Amino acid sequence: MRRRQAIWVSMLLPVTLAVSQAQAPSADEVARRVDARDTGRDSRLEMTMRLFDRQGRVRERALVVQAMRAQGREGDRMLVRFQSPTDIRGTGFLVWEHPDADDERFLYLPALGRVRRIAGAETQESFVGSDLTYEDIGGRELDHYTYTLVQGPSAWTGPDGQSHPVWHLESRARAADAAYPRVVSVVRQDILMIVAADIFNRRNEREKSYEVRALRQFDGIWTATGLSMVNHGQRTRTELTVTTARYNLGLTAAAFTRRALETP
Amino acid sequence: MVWHPHRLAHAIFRWRLPLSGLIIAAALALATQADVVTINNDLSAWVARDTREYQTYERFIEEFGGTRNVIVALEGEIFSVDGLQGVDAITRAIVQIPLVQQVYSLSTANIVRPLPAREDDAGVIEVTPLLGDDVTDPGAVARIRREALSDPLLRGDLVSQDGRVTAIVVVFDERRIDEARGDTVTAVEDAVRRRLPPGFKAHFNGSLEISETYNRVTVANTRQLTLPILGVTLLALYVLFRSVRTMLLIATAIGVSVALTMGLYAVLGFQFNVLTSMLMPLIVVLAIADDVHIVQHFTEVWRQTGDAAEAFVSSIVHLFAPLIGASATTALGLLSLATSDVVAVKTFGIGAAIGVMFDVLVSLVLVPTLMMWMPPPVAAPPQDFWFREPLARAGRVAFGRWRIVLMATVLVAMVAVAGLLRVRVDTNHINFFPSEHPITTSARVIDRDLSGIYTFDVLLEGPAESMRQPDTLQRMARLSGQLHELPNVRKVTSLADYVQRVHQQLADGAPEAAVIPDSPEAVAQELFVFGLSDEGRSELARMAASDYSRARISVKLASMSSDVVFAQIDRAEQLARTAFDGTDLRTEVTGSGRIFATLDHYMVDSQLSSFATAFVTVFAVIFLIFRSIRFGLLGIVANILPIVIVMGVMGWLGISLNIATIMVASVTLGIVDDDTIHFISRYRREAETGADTAEAVERATTHEGRAALTTAIINTVGFGLLAFSPYRPTAWFGGLLALTMAVAFLTEVLLVPAVIAALPRWLSAPVVAMRLRSS
Repeated sequence: MRRRQAIWVSMLLPVTLAVSQAQAPSADEVARRVDARDTGRDSRLEMTMRLFDRQGRVRERALVVQAMRAQGREGDRMLVRFQSPTDIRGTGFLVWEHPDADDERFLYLPALGRVRRIAGAETQESFVGSDLTYEDIGGRELDHYTYTLVQGPSAWTGPDGQSHPVWHLESRARAADAAYPRVVSVVRQDILMIVAADIFNRRNEREKSYEVRALRQFDGIWTATGLSMVNHGQRTRTELTVTTARYNLGLTAAAFTRRALETP
Repeated sequence: MVWHPHRLAHAIFRWRLPLSGLIIAAALALATQADVVTINNDLSAWVARDTREYQTYERFIEEFGGTRNVIVALEGEIFSVDGLQGVDAITRAIVQIPLVQQVYSLSTANIVRPLPAREDDAGVIEVTPLLGDDVTDPGAVARIRREALSDPLLRGDLVSQDGRVTAIVVVFDERRIDEARGDTVTAVEDAVRRRLPPGFKAHFNGSLEISETYNRVTVANTRQLTLPILGVTLLALYVLFRSVRTMLLIATAIGVSVALTMGLYAVLGFQFNVLTSMLMPLIVVLAIADDVHIVQHFTEVWRQTGDAAEAFVSSIVHLFAPLIGASATTALGLLSLATSDVVAVKTFGIGAAIGVMFDVLVSLVLVPTLMMWMPPPVAAPPQDFWFREPLARAGRVAFGRWRIVLMATVLVAMVAVAGLLRVRVDTNHINFFPSEHPITTSARVIDRDLSGIYTFDVLLEGPAESMRQPDTLQRMARLSGQLHELPNVRKVTSLADYVQRVHQQLADGAPEAAVIPDSPEAVAQELFVFGLSDEGRSELARMAASDYSRARISVKLASMSSDVVFAQIDRAEQLARTAFDGTDLRTEVTGSGRIFATLDHYMVDSQLSSFATAFVTVFAVIFLIFRSIRFGLLGIVANILPIVIVMGVMGWLGISLNIATIMVASVTLGIVDDDTIHFISRYRREAETGADTAEAVERATTHEGRAALTTAIINTVGFGLLAFSPYRPTAWFGGLLALTMAVAFLTEVLLVPAVIAALPRWLSAPVVAMRLRSS
């Protein structure tokens, strides 16, 4: 069975406070602990996505993201609904993850009034046209990477100015054709959250940089409420700001059907 | 101020050693700075950054990325397992090369694919890679072939209609590519050759490949031809002067001139490119002409008087004014290029003007100083006894039968003018190479089977969101259609094509649905769908700004003359203006095709306008030197004719006026005005000493014609070797240079005496002598 490791953005799959570590664990252990976090059964986040192009021009989109943890043989579910701008208001995007098969993605365009399946299940593909990937949002396969702890500053200074001990975890993709074969993540030891990362392309050039700019607890769960992903190659940037987050709402599968997608 | 040639000559004689030492020291110091092997043909070497074209292009590449590319055309059984795997492997390898920004191939191409509806939804659209995961399955190969050949955005662009040729288009980081262009282009070529499937052929072209080929050819020419030219030139010098010392002396003087010019050129921060690589031949040609005059005069006087000091002073007294005058006219003509918008033309003009003046300095100071250390001449050199009598006879014939000479000249001039009218201003870079050269064969393949090697773009700019309004998209689609009608246009792509494609696929691929929807929301949502995937997002970013304030219409063309491209660009600009008339959108044609076509056009234009300046200058300088409007006019006639004849021959031989051949005209002007000024100077000197017109003409022809013929022979045999270059402009340069030399010489020994004979009231020796005495 596939297990997704919410390894770094950890926004849709938030984390609970972790037990502090008495001894330095191995890289695999760090990866496993991050993967094993309790991230809530379901969630509903309202957010603003700001997309900066290479000229510095910004487009803003408001969206609501609902997610539900895997239930039995079903995989995770995610429904994204765009609230603004006006011309794409109501556009919806539904993802069904399948543990043993390719994910399914559905799209609802109000102008057409019909649901369409969208093919393509690459986890390293762009998430709704942003600099983030599905993998960044939904987590990554633990077994698809090998891990090493690498040297780096021992502390990370958070947005509040406080310093926190961190590990530097290098993940290398096992697949030879991964678009981003190497990621070096900064993992906060106290909450097991990835707060920064450098993502390298096939030429081993730093292609993207991820950074958490604000953290806040909702319903006892730490959530990155401000983050940015910079694409150095394309000279673009995406910033996400979470305005509201709620967890364990009791969402059911009915909230993630194609019919639900058609009902803005 | 009164002109005192004797005083100046004595001053130079007195200070000859420190002055010569200074010249040699400067040459040695500057020689270390000269670098003629590093060629820079990047955009900044050609286009001034403050021009409108460059600024638009900057804006364009900032928005859409670079347009200079390498096009790899693969010829073979593309739609086979080997073929597709090869394309995929090559694409993946090229992506790994530093500075590669984007690779477009069947491996990176996306298709929008509709799949049938299921019972619980309205079906699937896919914006998905064409190749997919598995190309080893023959079924998948058949599917890929079908989809690629039925996609109008791929067919004829990335893959030929018959599926036998495919393109891999490599685009680079425009801002950094010129730092490592040679290595990067070589790396792309290696990546292709190493992974080429069996039975496949690879062809390389595109604007960067052409530039790089230019660089390679320029460096190869310099390396392969410099030594042979030097060797043959030295041999010719030896044969004509039968003296190793004289040969080495002139060679040293040429070397000093070249070192001074090339060194100072580099110190001024100028860079070498295809155009300025002509600088060295120009300096060598003019240096030989000046030095031969000095050596010939010095040797003659020394032999007659037995006094080297007197020979030194006499050489300066008699040759200072004509040498300075001839050089000044050439230098001023070249300096007029400094006003050009084309950076390479500007630097060539300044560099060449400096070089010409260095030449004359070296000839007037260093050459006679070195001559002082030569053993006294005991016998006349071959160039004296071989040429003296035939030239005297030529002078007598031209003077005596001036009507025949003038009639023949008019006849030749008429034929030449007819040829001149056939000369086309045309820089087709592909035609610069032989038909079997790889760059030519690749252009043939890409022009025939794919969308051509040249491109330009229509840049549309307006308020945010304006580009995705249905009205704008419909205008774009109409303009695309009109642009497609222009000759040689192979492919036109715009944002409208993407909207139509998505709209059609959302309607299950119905052909009638390939239209722009009327609703702005529908357009917005369809573009939103397209941009959901990485591939779609990347493609959209190449066609429109993220806020839809800018868009491009990309036009691909078969290779052709830059002037035809220039005319098409002009037409495209008119069409674009009309298409968006009444809207708040601005249109401008840009892209590397526009830049280079404009460049070629401006380059030829600026050279042509420099001739106008040069003719005025020649007249002005001759007037200043001789204080005579009559001789000024004679100089003009003698200067125009060779240029008309050389260009007439170009017209009849079908050689276009292009960035390479235009340089021949500069050299022509330099040589011809040199010969004329020397002739007139000598003629007036002889007239002043009491010779009658026939005697003065004969002596001028004998002495100055000898120097001209010697110079012509040396340069013709030396630079004649250029005719063996596989690069046509270089070969043309060699051939036309030889022709120029011959025509300049014939003008001097035949036409000028005939004109003098035809106008005795104005130009006869007694009249000239009387005027000289009275002034």
